[in-house]
Amino acid sequence: MRWYIIRALLVKEWQRHLANRGGIALGLLLVTAAVLLSVFAPRGQDKSAGANLVGGVNHCFVEYDRQTTLITHLKENIPPDMTARIHFREFSQAPTKEGHILYTVGSGGLQIREIRPENSPNNQYTIHVAVWHPDGNPTALAPYETWLWKEVRRWNVARAQLRGVPTPPEPDFDAENQWMLTESHKRFQDQIAEAAAKGSTRGRFEPLAAVTGAAIAFETTSTPTIIPDLIVKREGLGGIVLDIRSAIVTGFVVFALYFTCVYLLPTLNCEERERGILLAQALSPASPLEIVAAKALFYPTAGITLAATIAAVYNPAIVARPFFWLSIFAVAAGFLGIGMTISTLARTQRAAFLGGMCYLMAVSMLLMICTLNSIPFLPYLAVEYHGPRILHAAINGDEVNWFLKGNLFGAAFLGVVWLTVAVRLFRRRGWQ
Amino acid sequence: MISLTGLRVLYGSFAAVDGLDLNIRRGELFGLLGPNGAGKSTTIRVLIGQRTPTSGSVSVAGFDVVRDWAKVKSLFGYVPDRENHFEEFTGRRNLEFFGQLYNVPRARAGTVLKMVELDEAADLPVRGYSLGMRKKLLLARALLHDPPIMYLDEPTANLDIHSAEVVHRILRDRVKHGATVIMTTHNMEEVEQICNRVGIVCRGKLVALDSPLALKQEHTERKVDVTRKDGEQFVFDMDNPANLGELSRLLTAGQIATMRTREFNFHETFLKLTGLTFE
Repeated sequence: MRWYIIRALLVKEWQRHLANRGGIALGLLLVTAAVLLSVFAPRGQDKSAGANLVGGVNHCFVEYDRQTTLITHLKENIPPDMTARIHFREFSQAPTKEGHILYTVGSGGLQIREIRPENSPNNQYTIHVAVWHPDGNPTALAPYETWLWKEVRRWNVARAQLRGVPTPPEPDFDAENQWMLTESHKRFQDQIAEAAAKGSTRGRFEPLAAVTGAAIAFETTSTPTIIPDLIVKREGLGGIVLDIRSAIVTGFVVFALYFTCVYLLPTLNCEERERGILLAQALSPASPLEIVAAKALFYPTAGITLAATIAAVYNPAIVARPFFWLSIFAVAAGFLGIGMTISTLARTQRAAFLGGMCYLMAVSMLLMICTLNSIPFLPYLAVEYHGPRILHAAINGDEVNWFLKGNLFGAAFLGVVWLTVAVRLFRRRGWQ
Repeated sequence: MISLTGLRVLYGSFAAVDGLDLNIRRGELFGLLGPNGAGKSTTIRVLIGQRTPTSGSVSVAGFDVVRDWAKVKSLFGYVPDRENHFEEFTGRRNLEFFGQLYNVPRARAGTVLKMVELDEAADLPVRGYSLGMRKKLLLARALLHDPPIMYLDEPTANLDIHSAEVVHRILRDRVKHGATVIMTTHNMEEVEQICNRVGIVCRGKLVALDSPLALKQEHTERKVDVTRKDGEQFVFDMDNPANLGELSRLLTAGQIATMRTREFNFHETFLKLTGLTFE
């Protein structure tokens, strides 16, 4: 490696961009957008009041403290179109951070706790349901709640019918109207209690376990009522909501790296090859390794500089965070490997451009399909899965937990894999 | 200086070069002629290390082109048949960039631009150059590092007479200073004018190899066109004793109005040697 050759090649790349200006113009636009985003933040658009970028809840976790007949009933009565979206787990199985359950973006929780009469303030068997919805979107779990309330009522009806109590017809459910929900439950409780008082039960205080044969943990003959009390509590999920500005800045940062490494590098390289300029350079004293090294140095450096500038405009403190630099280098390595692979495979500038676009589309489809269908592990194979997560966390200054460390490792590993693929392809095919 | 031994290059089952043996001496200006698809450009591609021979060997200044390519490539300057400049750069910037790769002083770009008479257009972007100017810029690039060997693929295509003469002058000057030049061309006059030796290739094989003068002597038709005073025209073959006797008799009798020996026609010779003559 001779520095004077590397320097000449780097200066050439820079001067080509100065002469064409398109790449520089786009870079300046990104920085300008970051400045505007930083200066003109809409009122109330701070981190705590941001909007969720992911609409709706794709996954609902039904969490419970122990296996009861209600949980068994719920598990056995999931609508077919919701089987992939409703997941049951005990509280002990849920991932936590500092004692709080973590929900990923696009998920919510229905926490069910059955309280024994002896632990209840009114000495009643009580079902406590906590609805954990995304902040600012309390109705996001409505489809899951409708299912839950229907099934809770059906379970209660089954309990009453087992005791020979006549039950009223099933009312219309409006999961978004909590007042109506609790009122209708109280009315249902009263109707059942009234019917039971008239002596129409087969055994008023008969344990449900004896009737159903199910494993009942704590329903005893001491239970004074057939229908338990229902308490519903609603909570917004703190911490999962994306700040719209930091999300956009993350998008800019990822795009800056993608644009330089996966778009500019392959297209300009293939343009040089198509026009025979690469051959002219290859016939000069510059070795193929030096030509590749200059390109592999210039484009990631340009991308990282642009990305860091955008991030620093948004939040200058970012540049002092080692996690930010580690993240940006890991993602840049991945994109560089992808860009060089496209450079090696594409013969023309147009093919290189289309290659970049096809890659982007393929990865987007993969991530979307995997998210919607709960396909595990496959998204881990995409730099675009790990990259935005670690960069967003770095830009927000989030605490680096084991999950983010895993994403950073994933991005770095994929970077190494892509670079290895690019080098092997280059050795086999070259750029000629 | 340059040695090709049993060179064979296959594109699939098609032999672009088929057993080419050639030795080119130092200080020689060698013309490689042949019809389209004869294997000239493939031979040049092998010489510049961009095509690996299927069999045979090629050595330049004692170095094997395939094995020692890194050493060989600094020895030659190459003018491709297709121009390949940075369109957005000026002519001078193009040369300065390659000059930096060759580690030559920056002023060298100005010198070679002057040599090819492009100094006035040196600071214009190449996208504004004519085809001839682009061709001359290619030659300027090949001259940057003052190479001992030059490969030129049709260097005077698209050049006007004056520019072609500039190129010829530069090549002659290079050869005078000991450089070895191999050029491919379709221009027979050019070959006659400047080449020391000519190789004619056809279908990947060498069909003739000699100096233009020797080729001339060998292939000039020894015939005389005679017009008698009564207007009748005859062609006498100098190798036919009967024809010689008849010509002598006419001369002695003073019956000949005009008499002309036939000139060497490189074009016809080329067509004849390559089997492309239209019968």
